[in-house]
Amino acid sequence: MVSRSIYMPTRGPTGRVWGKFQEQRPLIIGLVVLAVLWEFSTLFLPPIITPPLKEIAVAMWSIISQYDQLIHLFVTALRVLVAVVVSFVLGAALGIAMGSIDSVREYAKPMLHFIQGIPALSWVIFAVIWFSTVELRIGFILLIVTMPSFALYIDGAVRGINLDLIHLGQAFRTNRMQQYRMIIIPAIIPEVISSWVVNLGTAVRIAMVAELIGSNIGVGFQLLQAQAVFDMAGAIAWTLCLVVLLSLFQATITFLEGRLLGWRPKGEQP
Amino acid sequence: MKDVAPIRFADVSKTFQKQDGEPFFACRELSFSVVEGEVVAIVGETGCGKSTSFNMLLGLQKPDSGEVRVFGKDPFVQSDSLLGLVGIIFQSDRLLPWRTAIENVAFGLQILNVEEEKRLETARIWLERVGLGGFEDAYPHELSGGMRQRVSIARAFAIGPRLLYADEAFTALDELTAARVRKDLLGLIRETGITTLFITHSVPEAVDIAQRILIFGRPGRVICEIDRDKERENGKSIAAIETMVRDGLQTAREAMIAEGTAEDMTAEDAQKIKAGGES
Repeated sequence: MVSRSIYMPTRGPTGRVWGKFQEQRPLIIGLVVLAVLWEFSTLFLPPIITPPLKEIAVAMWSIISQYDQLIHLFVTALRVLVAVVVSFVLGAALGIAMGSIDSVREYAKPMLHFIQGIPALSWVIFAVIWFSTVELRIGFILLIVTMPSFALYIDGAVRGINLDLIHLGQAFRTNRMQQYRMIIIPAIIPEVISSWVVNLGTAVRIAMVAELIGSNIGVGFQLLQAQAVFDMAGAIAWTLCLVVLLSLFQATITFLEGRLLGWRPKGEQP
Repeated sequence: MKDVAPIRFADVSKTFQKQDGEPFFACRELSFSVVEGEVVAIVGETGCGKSTSFNMLLGLQKPDSGEVRVFGKDPFVQSDSLLGLVGIIFQSDRLLPWRTAIENVAFGLQILNVEEEKRLETARIWLERVGLGGFEDAYPHELSGGMRQRVSIARAFAIGPRLLYADEAFTALDELTAARVRKDLLGLIRETGITTLFITHSVPEAVDIAQRILIFGRPGRVICEIDRDKERENGKSIAAIETMVRDGLQTAREAMIAEGTAEDMTAEDAQKIKAGGES
């Protein structure tokens, strides 16, 4: 009998790391090329335009190694997470109501589109005028920007559920709660995950703008400080930390997606 | 409830509106009943109200006039009172793609609030009975069409229903697979003695499974019925009974032509009606 280990090699830890590298190869190569070009440009341009990579690395290390710096990153992360969770709960409730009840959809959909049409910067201005508390301002801005998106995503998902499955539930005499718990909610999970991916990215970007105005803590505030003293290395370091934070959020979603949607055929999995 | 006919249609009419505003009669004064322990098949051409009747039995559509009763209850109004009494096999398997085979079979039991351990045990037994022991943890996309339909048969029987509906249960399968699954379903129907209403396009299928065959004409109504068991007692062969059913279908067709309803539905009309019915 042919040994399985010869013909069907299993992936060891090294193999897994190599596999991950292969998946991320285009990104890694792109970043390396960018770093080389950046470092090359420092030979011709002043540090205020393109600070050396070493200077950026030192600034980044300072952020992640010092509590009084790291706290800004944590605060931004917390603001984004709390606001997106609240936004999701409200948006999901509205989206499900829109998807299930025509009259709710008829009135809510145009309003949500109208709200989405207002630029985020306008909401920032409104929030500064309307609210005196910084956290309330930031929370409101994040909520008003992301909630309509959640609601519209989930409305579309509920509307898109295969009617056969809804009829299956009705034919088996599910009550309303069972219909939601056993059919509607599991069926919309792929779209819920997509809406989280989109809205987390949006929320991180909007949080920066909101923190730039009127906040004395958070990454946005630190970017404003860096701009005030023309600290380009600091500005880039804070931006890179933010990108890492967003990547961590996205990785968490990808992990959850794998857990929640493990039933999908291999080709459809993340 | 024991004395009440499991299924009774009394002068049931159901109209849909086409997109151009014209009414379309799916059923007109449809009357028939199915008694306890009986296996009845409905056969008829496309558009003769078979699926509309099925949907009214499920409580998904309300008749415009007349009465639909399942164990004496109106399925549209008294839906809850029929909980756990009716097992259903659809044309497509309608398995929930995020549930494994065993979880799909346990679906109806979960609705009945049977505790998890008990419902999984029952589901396992039914999966084995339909020949899918060992496939408990397979997801629907990992199963063939025939296997998926077997899961849906197990799901229908797992709740221990007193009445079984099957709506063109084998149409989506290839002939060979359909024959195998049909044989197994027939075995289960005979073994459990369950009252069954079977909707089909196939004459051999109807004669194979049902004791009584109702031939539908358009708009949906019973044109004639054939008691297979009585015909067998009278010495008729299966082939002869199949011929009788085909003759019945021909009679239904002639009636439709005489009434001008045979060719009144184009494919486009059918699409419009479908869209109207679903909205």
